[in-house]
Amino acid sequence: MSDGASRFEEFPVDAVHVGLTLFVLAVLFLYSPLFVQPPGGTFTVLEVVVLFLLYAMILVGLNLQFGHAGLVNFGPVAFFAVGGYTAAMLTANDPFRAVGLGYPWPVGLLAAILVAAALGVLLGISTLRLRDDFLAIVTLAVAEIIHGLLETQSDITGGSLGLNNVPRPIAGTTSAGDGAVLVSTIIVFGALAVLFYGVFRRLSASPYGRVLRAIRADEQVTETLGKRVFRYKLAVFVYGAAVAGLAGALLVFYNGAASAGFFTINVTVIVWIGMLIGGAGSDRGVLGGLAIIMGFQLFTRFLNDQIPFVTQDQFASLRLVLVGLLLMVIIKYRPEGIWGNADELGVDS
Amino acid sequence: MEIPLAQEVIFGLVIGSYIALGAIGFTLVYGLVNMINFAHGEFITIGAFVGYLAVAEVGLPLPVAVFVALGGTAVVGWGIARITFEPMNDAGAVPLLLMSIGLGLVLRNGIRVIAGPDRRSIRTDVATYRFDDLGFFVTSQQLFIIGLTLASVLVLHLFLSRTMLGIAMRATADNEDLALVSGIDTRRVRNAVWLAASGLAGVAGVMLGTAQAASPTVGFGQLLLIITAAILGGAGSPYGAVAGSYILGIAVTVSVPFLQRLEETLALNLELTALNSTMAFVILIVVLLVRPGGLVSAEVRTS
Repeated sequence: MSDGASRFEEFPVDAVHVGLTLFVLAVLFLYSPLFVQPPGGTFTVLEVVVLFLLYAMILVGLNLQFGHAGLVNFGPVAFFAVGGYTAAMLTANDPFRAVGLGYPWPVGLLAAILVAAALGVLLGISTLRLRDDFLAIVTLAVAEIIHGLLETQSDITGGSLGLNNVPRPIAGTTSAGDGAVLVSTIIVFGALAVLFYGVFRRLSASPYGRVLRAIRADEQVTETLGKRVFRYKLAVFVYGAAVAGLAGALLVFYNGAASAGFFTINVTVIVWIGMLIGGAGSDRGVLGGLAIIMGFQLFTRFLNDQIPFVTQDQFASLRLVLVGLLLMVIIKYRPEGIWGNADELGVDS
Repeated sequence: MEIPLAQEVIFGLVIGSYIALGAIGFTLVYGLVNMINFAHGEFITIGAFVGYLAVAEVGLPLPVAVFVALGGTAVVGWGIARITFEPMNDAGAVPLLLMSIGLGLVLRNGIRVIAGPDRRSIRTDVATYRFDDLGFFVTSQQLFIIGLTLASVLVLHLFLSRTMLGIAMRATADNEDLALVSGIDTRRVRNAVWLAASGLAGVAGVMLGTAQAASPTVGFGQLLLIITAAILGGAGSPYGAVAGSYILGIAVTVSVPFLQRLEETLALNLELTALNSTMAFVILIVVLLVRPGGLVSAEVRTS
């Protein structure tokens, strides 16, 4: 396993340091009177960039779980949702017909991470001994249960209306309008995304990551070598859950509201397809894959206005047909993805 | 309004019936092709539309439409599987599962592009038989659905136990390598499995088309119930899947008044009854945690 070392060499700048530096600069920028006003037509694109950065945080965790350790987690959106709603319910001021405790936002942020991680521990302990495909079903079912609870328990979560009056810490630092808020949000979320990328990359490039790949290749051999397979699996499951929970909290603090519509199975589908296109296990590749799939969605959104004879509903369905076809083609003809390593993943291409 | 238990059981038997035909196909594919087919719901949808076209456009009587849907869906499902799953048969469980998710997206949304999101009900004449003394009623439609399922299960049982192909199928499910060295053409067996699984899904689709309506998501909506029933019965076991489906169908309907009473007792408004289908997922997780092998103890854990 010398490629871990060579991967480090081809990456002279450590993403953790870059991420931390960027984050400090971003916070300084937030509290300075400076702001950037983007041109008016770019808002749609910038909003997709915000989502991309949040999904990227979920994806670095998921890639550690599936790409490196081989855990088929089909429910990353569950942790995203739990983080988001925890943050929203703790911090919302007098939301319409839902729980809103009105605590300051850092409490909500911290609680979101802890609650998502706790769900990760609970779910991990109970299900990580299941076979790959059954783990997929259980995690998918848990995500659906949580989505069902969010929609039906309207006295607590606001049901289909969701929660509003959630604090917007980043919007509060500038009074220069929505465009400046978008740019500030992108700078802060971008710094955090780079930071998490760096942390998870350090994990996967270290001996720790080698154990994870050994687990993916053969669990029994790894166990025989004295590694506690279950603990490793549980740890990466919880890391991914915590980061997804944080991403959920960031989303509600950005929107100033939480709604079940933000946390549908589509999040899971997009993140998974991004990972498979880019190449599971390739830390940078998966982010490239995510950029491709989200870029495709953005591009086709503009395209819809250009084609007159297709209804909006048909167009949305056609888009999903294309996403599905893309997934099938990738799985069949290039199972290691665009930037993945076929030998390492143990797939034939 | 208080609904008598007997009535709930009849509703449960109806739900259990169309889950059963879906779950048998799902579990046969799981046992013989070693894959979890997330596109199985779409085969049901195809059956619902074939049934609708046969009744509403061609004007065939419902029993004939059932056979048309059986044959049509069997051939379509087999053809799709030949193109998508068969070439990558040795790729392993997870790639096949991902492939089926992609296929499901393509079929579900492809049908939506062509047919639109509307719900199209297969209209039939319904007679209602009341048993007021015993406090329940049953419609000819419900009797048709339950009877059709029982007939299908009987035919399947005869096929699996009395024909060479059925016996070869059971042997392959038990141990593919041993079956292969005993001279069983496992490729032919897999073809038969896809035909049987899609055909049964087609029949389930016609039932859903009459009981509910044919729509692009009608099959997908049943998928997690089908998976739950198959796992409850022991993944890979067709008889277990039938038992699991009826247990699940009755559990889901009988739990509604139970949950209502629980809510009244606790004097809380938790809207538990809105969680009706969520209950199925809870059952699924509990089964996988407590008795992952289901009723027949299939193996679902790693090593």
